Amino acid sequence: MTRHPRRVWVVGVGVVTAFGSGLAPLTEALEHNRTAARPPLPSHAPKPSVPCLAEYQGTLPECPPFRDDRKVELLFEAFRQLAGLPEALGGRLGVFLGTGLSSVTPGELAHDLYPHLLGRSFDRRSLARHLSTEGGAPNRHLPGRAARALATRLHATGPVQTCFSACAASGQSIADAAMAIRRGEIGAALAGGHDSMTHPLGVASFFLLNTLSSKLCRPFDTRRDGFLLGEGAALLLLANPGAARAAGLEPLAVLWGAGSSADAHSATAPHPRGHGAFLAMERALDDAGIPPHAVEQVNAHGTGTVVGDRAEALAISRLLPESTSVCSMKGAFGHTIAAAGVVELAATIGAMCMGFSPGTAGCLEPASDCPINVQQEPLPRAPAVVLSNSFGFGGQNVSLVLAHPLA
Amino acid sequence: MEVGIAAIGLLCSAGIGTEGARGGRPGPVPGFRPRAYISNRKSLKLMSRAVKLGVSAIALASGNQTELISATAPPRRAMFVGSNPLGGALDDLLPALDISTNSSGVLDLGSFATEGIPRIHPLWLVKGLSNNVLGIASMLHDFQGPNANYCQGESSGFLALHEAWATITEGRADLALAGAADSLLQAKALFPGRRLGEGAAFFLLRPWEPSDRWLVRSGAGEAALVQEEPDLGYLGVAGAVVGLARALLSGVPRATLRQGGLSLTVAATS
Repeated sequence: MTRHPRRVWVVGVGVVTAFGSGLAPLTEALEHNRTAARPPLPSHAPKPSVPCLAEYQGTLPECPPFRDDRKVELLFEAFRQLAGLPEALGGRLGVFLGTGLSSVTPGELAHDLYPHLLGRSFDRRSLARHLSTEGGAPNRHLPGRAARALATRLHATGPVQTCFSACAASGQSIADAAMAIRRGEIGAALAGGHDSMTHPLGVASFFLLNTLSSKLCRPFDTRRDGFLLGEGAALLLLANPGAARAAGLEPLAVLWGAGSSADAHSATAPHPRGHGAFLAMERALDDAGIPPHAVEQVNAHGTGTVVGDRAEALAISRLLPESTSVCSMKGAFGHTIAAAGVVELAATIGAMCMGFSPGTAGCLEPASDCPINVQQEPLPRAPAVVLSNSFGFGGQNVSLVLAHPLA
Repeated sequence: MEVGIAAIGLLCSAGIGTEGARGGRPGPVPGFRPRAYISNRKSLKLMSRAVKLGVSAIALASGNQTELISATAPPRRAMFVGSNPLGGALDDLLPALDISTNSSGVLDLGSFATEGIPRIHPLWLVKGLSNNVLGIASMLHDFQGPNANYCQGESSGFLALHEAWATITEGRADLALAGAADSLLQAKALFPGRRLGEGAAFFLLRPWEPSDRWLVRSGAGEAALVQEEPDLGYLGVAGAVVGLARALLSGVPRATLRQGGLSLTVAATS
């Protein structure tokens, strides 16, 4: 087992996806290459051409005062699974979350805004009166409140931060937490993210951007035409190995390195050759202190869009050996937006623990414009070292190197 | 490794640049013309007021440092931003909400789907993204290095500055822009009874050079703690960094920001 001082242990995982609550339903579905795509509820479909969503079907805990905020409910369901583990670690604990633009839900709109609509404008006076009697209603829109609530619940005395970098958000939060542990600022961190944009406004937003698949999500496939919108949350309990050992905890996986970059190219499109993606992956490998051939599998961002998959594939093919296996989980449980980085990391840990490597649900015919070795089906052998990518709208990229504890 | 501040970009209701260091009261930034700082007019269409302030403050901080920036490879230039998620994009939804709300004030999701959505601007989601300062400024100034966007209330600017400091001290970048921007002038409904303002402050950090006027160190030491900028009204996520910029530019010898057991002290070097 590694004793490298720069490496950070993952000693706990809580996760919620469209496959259910916990690692077990998620890994079981990935092992069989299933998809959680289902026709959306009628109220969720803005147009018939959005055939599927990947939504969590179970019940979620109520989280007052976070009324009608599904992404927070998902987060607390993930937190529930960690049951006492964070408290078991002594020393300073930090909370690092990534979140998304899903604050304004239809319920909030209905409750706060609709009654004050006057034609094409708000009756701002009545709205102000309403909000001033709501006792903290404006706080519902502030993404930092969920991290603060977790920190309060855990009596965490370390830094509390919320990263808001679109689909790179939770990956960046994991990276920030790991760096803070390495620096010795904290002994452990609760790090992850949450998002749910499967509500009408969220679906509409992506529909208008023409990013949703009109059929099934097919990452890296010849017929790919967009992504499957999902929802989810995951939390990793990260710890300095010394602090974890002192608490009697063993690693489920080890975070070896992280790298981030900016495309600095366009506000609305990825760099066509994936230059930013390349930089993030290169930095992550450098940070981990490993050569490219040490990576046994890449968990790609792989959303299933034409330009995004091509750009990422070009970046991977430029950096890693041709034989490196590449998978995408977006066809399985969808694109969980700000939560994507941590949910997929949790899934990777689950697969490592169960001894298999995930495939790419939905990819039937790998595309010739994606010059990588797409692993279409799961294989009964866990990779020892995985490079996991998350790229955000706006050009933020993050890559994380995760390894099996015995690697 | 010690970290220095090579330049500060400040916009607040007291003024722009060093003029903003003293005086002022809640209100808009006087004489603020985004086109003076942002030549790419296409990108201006994607910006809310807060984003324009942030991108302009970054332009101010980098304006006199073009030699330093161009001498640093783009992948070694980092950027960390504190921002407000309330992008002001709600108004863009009004036509869709209007057509989808029945006479009883109840949203009809069917109408929203069929008649409301076509009335929403296709780039609504893009315009409302909280990471727009980061995305647009990194594009305009070719900053390809480590980056992040923080939305943690009034702590956001500190978190950005702290991460920039850490990134430089750990050798992950040779240059970092860090700060925060906010505009709450149109948010009276959300903050009833509060005096609201707007502002932005960004700092250009690098490994310490003797020509740097300020030095950034971890820890509090004996320094004035900056938590917000009360004279200019509530500045949301930008309050602490605007306060820090004003303190430094007005000659305060030491000032500290802190959160969650972490702190940074910035001290004048002369």
